[in-house]
Amino acid sequence: MAAANRPLLRITGMIKEFPGLRALDDVSLEVHSGEIVAVVGHNGSGKSTLVKILAGVYAKDAGEVEYPSSTAEEETGLHIIHQDLGLAMELNAIENLGIPKYQGLRESLAPAPVKREKAKATELISRFGEPFDVTVPVGSLAPAQRSIIGIARALDGWKHPRNILILDEPTEALHASEVRILFEAIKRLAADGAGIIFISHRLDEVLELADRIVVLRDGKKVADEDREHVDHERLVEFVTGVKAGEAETGRTDRTHGEVVLDIAGLWGEVLDGVDLTVHAGEVVGVAGVLGSGREALPAMVFGSELAAADEFNVAGAAYPKRDPAESIRRGMAFVPGDRGKYGAIRDFTARENITLPAMQNVTNAIFGVDARKEKAVATELVAKYDVRPPRPEQIFKQFSGGNQQKIVFAKWLRNDPTVLLLEEPTQGVDIGAKQALYEAIDAAAAQGAAVVVCSSEAKELVRLCDRVLVLRNGVVAAELSGEELTETRLVLEGYGLADGDDAVDGSEGQQ
Amino acid sequence: MKTTEAIATATEDTKATPRSAGGWRRILSFRNISALYIFVAIFVLFSIITPKTFLSPGTWVLLLDEQTITVLAALAVLIPLNVAVFNLAIGAEVGFAVILVAVLQVNLQLPWPLAVVLALACGALIGTISGLIITRLKIDSFIATLGMSSLLTAGLVLMSGQRQVLGLGAGFRDFATGGIPLGGTFKLTWPFIIMIVVALVLWYVMEKTPLGRRMYAAGFNPDGARLSGVKVARLQIGSLVAGGIVAALAGTLLASRINAGDPTVGPNLLLPALTAVFLGSTQFKGGRFNVWGTVVSVYVLAVGVKGLQLLGATDWVENAFNGVALLGAVALSRWERTSKRTAAIKRATTFGRRARTELAEQQAAADPTSAPAELRKPDQE
Repeated sequence: MAAANRPLLRITGMIKEFPGLRALDDVSLEVHSGEIVAVVGHNGSGKSTLVKILAGVYAKDAGEVEYPSSTAEEETGLHIIHQDLGLAMELNAIENLGIPKYQGLRESLAPAPVKREKAKATELISRFGEPFDVTVPVGSLAPAQRSIIGIARALDGWKHPRNILILDEPTEALHASEVRILFEAIKRLAADGAGIIFISHRLDEVLELADRIVVLRDGKKVADEDREHVDHERLVEFVTGVKAGEAETGRTDRTHGEVVLDIAGLWGEVLDGVDLTVHAGEVVGVAGVLGSGREALPAMVFGSELAAADEFNVAGAAYPKRDPAESIRRGMAFVPGDRGKYGAIRDFTARENITLPAMQNVTNAIFGVDARKEKAVATELVAKYDVRPPRPEQIFKQFSGGNQQKIVFAKWLRNDPTVLLLEEPTQGVDIGAKQALYEAIDAAAAQGAAVVVCSSEAKELVRLCDRVLVLRNGVVAAELSGEELTETRLVLEGYGLADGDDAVDGSEGQQ
Repeated sequence: MKTTEAIATATEDTKATPRSAGGWRRILSFRNISALYIFVAIFVLFSIITPKTFLSPGTWVLLLDEQTITVLAALAVLIPLNVAVFNLAIGAEVGFAVILVAVLQVNLQLPWPLAVVLALACGALIGTISGLIITRLKIDSFIATLGMSSLLTAGLVLMSGQRQVLGLGAGFRDFATGGIPLGGTFKLTWPFIIMIVVALVLWYVMEKTPLGRRMYAAGFNPDGARLSGVKVARLQIGSLVAGGIVAALAGTLLASRINAGDPTVGPNLLLPALTAVFLGSTQFKGGRFNVWGTVVSVYVLAVGVKGLQLLGATDWVENAFNGVALLGAVALSRWERTSKRTAAIKRATTFGRRARTELAEQQAAADPTSAPAELRKPDQE
């Protein structure tokens, strides 16, 4: 067959622009039959944009997507398994596999052939190893089994094995043992002739599974290498873009004051006893992969998420029972990661958002809001933080992402907080706004705020922080500062790939 | 996330002329004050058709006074709705107060001022209980107030035995009909004055104070408001308490007006009250529930119904008119808002596609070999 040596999928010169951001910049990619291609990169590197273009969620601005081996008899299909599998948790595997595809009134109303359905579902999933009970709600199955249902569902319509399967962060919810089950299933598919694209930010898994590794950084393809030419140090170099040894290091130029935030043994849903001490004027970063506890920490400190602590002191006073209103009263401020949902009231104007947390200083003698005073405050802050367009009366949701975040910053920094908690402060923000936000954080620290930055972006942490705690599985795995605080170290510690780590050695032994 | 950003920037240019420039045009636009235009249209229409009855002062005096109870009931719905809490118990709350204030006077022989105070206190208590059910037991306000409504109806039937409670105190009876004479047949009745005072207070609190700002914030986005230090649960309970007091006030005035504890009058207020609040949200404040929009809506609806009744329409016309007006007004404002947005989304998403098809067409025109695939197939194979 002539189609055999042509790739199943060929992407050439893919470009996608968002306002102020080139999410994909001339990315080309080929996937052959029987090949597992890993696409790796940071958050914001363009991985998910690529998937969304292939899925048809976004329209590409330029570039081609071709299926060179697709013929009339053997059309190449493309299936995507999203991280959220989209299964209905209350329904069982048979129903989720969509086996009851009955059309027309007569078929729809006839009694369902339960036995036949069950046999077919079992057959579909047993292609991926040990079959399991297909009649229980999928919510009660193990996460790996759910992933297999997701894959089996995608494969159900395949008339031939040479199709493309894209797995977007499939291991996010899985334990190590389950990852192995999933990987076996994926390898079987590839052996049958499927072309697999495996999207992940877990470098150890990528090294274990992939035949070829494609690295994206800031929307550009920076590496496209066979697995045997890559070790994990090189992979980290590709991902971060920083050569080991010549990296930027953490900040040492700030002067610190007294201890402002002093927490011992913070634990909650994903945190398992974290100590955190921040001085006035100090910027402390919190790093870690998704699920490490990094994303839960600031909300727990602020009191909007339930958490307990052995000791919790703010500005020298014990603060055992936390809630947002009381935290604000004590001089804390929290910029949450999801600004539309938590950071602001989307239907309010910029002015109304800015004054909301502290309205006591824009009131008049008759308990009312002093409109003139409020407007002056909003106008001044909108100008100070360079919100564009500088219109305090514009509705929040009509601003672009970067300017929305500037408004959220203005809202909190107006009160000169003593503790500033930041969660993903520059997510979905263009380069210009990013710089402005960094300067705002620097200024807040210079004025004596104790700053905590939780971020998935290693580069950002190195740029901003004096010291970074790396969380892994809910505990502090490492604490880096000064010379040690580099992007490479952060990534290595975050994934648990620092010297002598078993997972990687094990996988290399297998290859 | 990213798509919304693209759309946000797309709308940015077309939207939001500063208030100073096109301010008056915006304020007087149909979108902003459609109810007032409808009012004028109705007024002109019925003035021409039935000038004698429609334009007589008696009609208008009656109308102003008659609707005060509906306005109060609507305001009682509005307060909690501002913090995203539905109060479906409003009819039962008013009805309960009607019976309670009568039973206290007739059966227990309490002096009427005391009965009124107790009825208002009971309204506050009902609000507190609803609030605790919603915030502590985390039951959706829709369901919680539906349950409360059922319970209150049961209590109402229990107290009244499905019969009118007659024989109210003389002072109580005269209160609703008294007022400040303005000369001729015109008179500002006490219920009307009370209603205006309540509306003024609520307007000031909601629009002019930090408390009102926090209420709106909690109504738009409870999670976001909480993270900005707004005590959402406390506001929800408080708004139900205030709403309960206003509802009890409406019931008390209603009992005074009809001079009896009538078990059937309260529950009928639910639909007109909800209608007015939602219709009112399309007025003046572009989608925010607000006091004057609610007040005006009640009267616009009432004038329309009155005109139709004067033409000889029968009982069904009130509900029919209210229904049409509500659906029409809300659909109109929704359509106006979404059409702008839909256009922006279309611009943002089809731009690339259109550019490409145009490009393809140009290429096809310039280069005959790249004609559509069907035509090429034969000579390729």
